[in-house]
Amino acid sequence: MIEVKGLWHIYEGGKEALRGIDFDMGNEIVALVGPNGSGKTTLAKHLNGLLKPTKGEVIVDGLNTKEHSVAELSRIVGYVFQNPEHMFFAESVFGEVAFGPRNLGLSGEEVEERVRWALEKVNLEGYENRTPYSLSGGEKQRLAIACVLSMKPKYLVLDEPTTGLDEKSAESVRDIIRSLHREGHGILLITHEMDLVLELARRVVLLHGGKKIFDGPVDEFFSLELRDYGLDRPELLRISFSIGTGFVRTVEEFVGRLAR
Amino acid sequence: MMYNFYVERDSVLHSLDPRVKLAGSASAVIILLLFNSPEVLIPLFFLTILLVYTLGKITPREQYRVLKPLFPILIITIVVWAFVYDPWYRGALIGVAYGLRLLTFGLIAFSLLMTTTQRELILGFIKLKMPYEYGLTMTIALRYIPTLYMLALNIMDAQKARGWEMEKGNILVRMRKMSAVLVPLLIASIKTAHELSIALESRAFGARKERTFLYTIEMKGRDYAALLMTGVILGIALYMRYGLGFGHIKLY
Ligand SMILES: Nc1ncnc2c1ncn2[C@@H]1O[C@H](COP(=O)(O)OP(=O)(O)OP(=O)(O)O)[C@@H](O)[C@H]1O
Ligand SMILES: [Mg+2]
Repeated sequence: MIEVKGLWHIYEGGKEALRGIDFDMGNEIVALVGPNGSGKTTLAKHLNGLLKPTKGEVIVDGLNTKEHSVAELSRIVGYVFQNPEHMFFAESVFGEVAFGPRNLGLSGEEVEERVRWALEKVNLEGYENRTPYSLSGGEKQRLAIACVLSMKPKYLVLDEPTTGLDEKSAESVRDIIRSLHREGHGILLITHEMDLVLELARRVVLLHGGKKIFDGPVDEFFSLELRDYGLDRPELLRISFSIGTGFVRTVEEFVGRLAR
Repeated sequence: MMYNFYVERDSVLHSLDPRVKLAGSASAVIILLLFNSPEVLIPLFFLTILLVYTLGKITPREQYRVLKPLFPILIITIVVWAFVYDPWYRGALIGVAYGLRLLTFGLIAFSLLMTTTQRELILGFIKLKMPYEYGLTMTIALRYIPTLYMLALNIMDAQKARGWEMEKGNILVRMRKMSAVLVPLLIASIKTAHELSIALESRAFGARKERTFLYTIEMKGRDYAALLMTGVILGIALYMRYGLGFGHIKLY
């Protein structure tokens, strides 16, 4: 359980990026949305202790982030940064994925086992000896997920995991997210893509100007006046709402309703 | 976030011709190099703060912000001088003076950048017959320091999230650990530089030797007056130092 209580964050220079956020999450997929600069990244960086609260507190599985280092918290909360290239430095995919487990002080065998496991999870088996920078965009994103997954965190924060990927790569990232969720991981999905929200999340949290404006089920979220927050409904929902078939999550569901 | 040092203000320094400001900065640097006694260098530092405030409308707080990264050097200078000089308190005073001289250099450079737009600065260099590419290279380099700094912080955060800790281990271990930050930083900077070169070339950079300008600069009456004043002050400083032997101490 991640618990965020009355969280304020004021950056050096006086910018109030978060203004009193209350938020809990367990083993679910939560979409964190909001316009640029609304505080999504700032909130997410509190969950593994990269940022410490100016006021309020963040408790991760009973640990107060103020009292624990990022290295300790990284075993519980994994954070996949937006640009995968910002973390690649090893010569091989293997070395890259092994970096996290090695930092945890695991034995050589355990590290190897975890790397194999993580690469399998993201469908990158056989890539061990490739150079990270030589991978395609979609493969880089999956490698980034593997790098964090190999530390076996219970919760995962994914910052815009499908931005800039083609449909096939995006679909494989979505599959990974679904399968991780099935296995009991809690996933915080930061995104601007409403299609992704519709397809993956049961619950949506909307930030605006550092405040939580909405927190609830996805169907309720899409009945909000989203344009007020610089967001919009996915095409599918616009069509479905306007012909009166109501809330649907996928094209199949929509077609099913039409047929009825 | 600070991407550019320039701050928009309505001040004397902002309105002066960049060539005059370049000449003024150069004179200020010469004056600082003329003297070495703490009794002159320390007041000169505070005088510079005052002048940058009154002439450039850059508040002492803003000046403090840009100078802050240089403070470690100031402290090291003080400590080293206190160690090597006898008596130590005189050494510490000299250290303060030399450290502050360094800060004054920084202040002069930053106040030039904070009161002059990149465009004006390049124009100033070109009118002084410096090749256009040099001016551009220099301003681009300055422009990217804050960007790279933000990038480095972001990369460090990404690695910390993978259990990376810089603070642990002896100096050798730490240096090896730094590669986890330096490699992505280097690659990202090379990419940025490459993209920038494409952007420049796609706008026909270097298509003709002599470039023309949409906006240009011209020396006005007040610019000549300021230049004259700079010259007079430099002259006075030179006379004080060499004519009167003022402000120079023998250290050993
Ligand atoms: N290091 C920093 N120092 C000062 N202000 C910052 C810093 N990082 C972010 N901010 C400011 O805090 C606010 C929230 O930023 P944040 O990055 O959390 O937004 P975001 O919702 O993630 O936006 P985006 O959708 O663009 O990623 C913004 O106004 C931003 O300018
Ligand atoms: Mg963000």
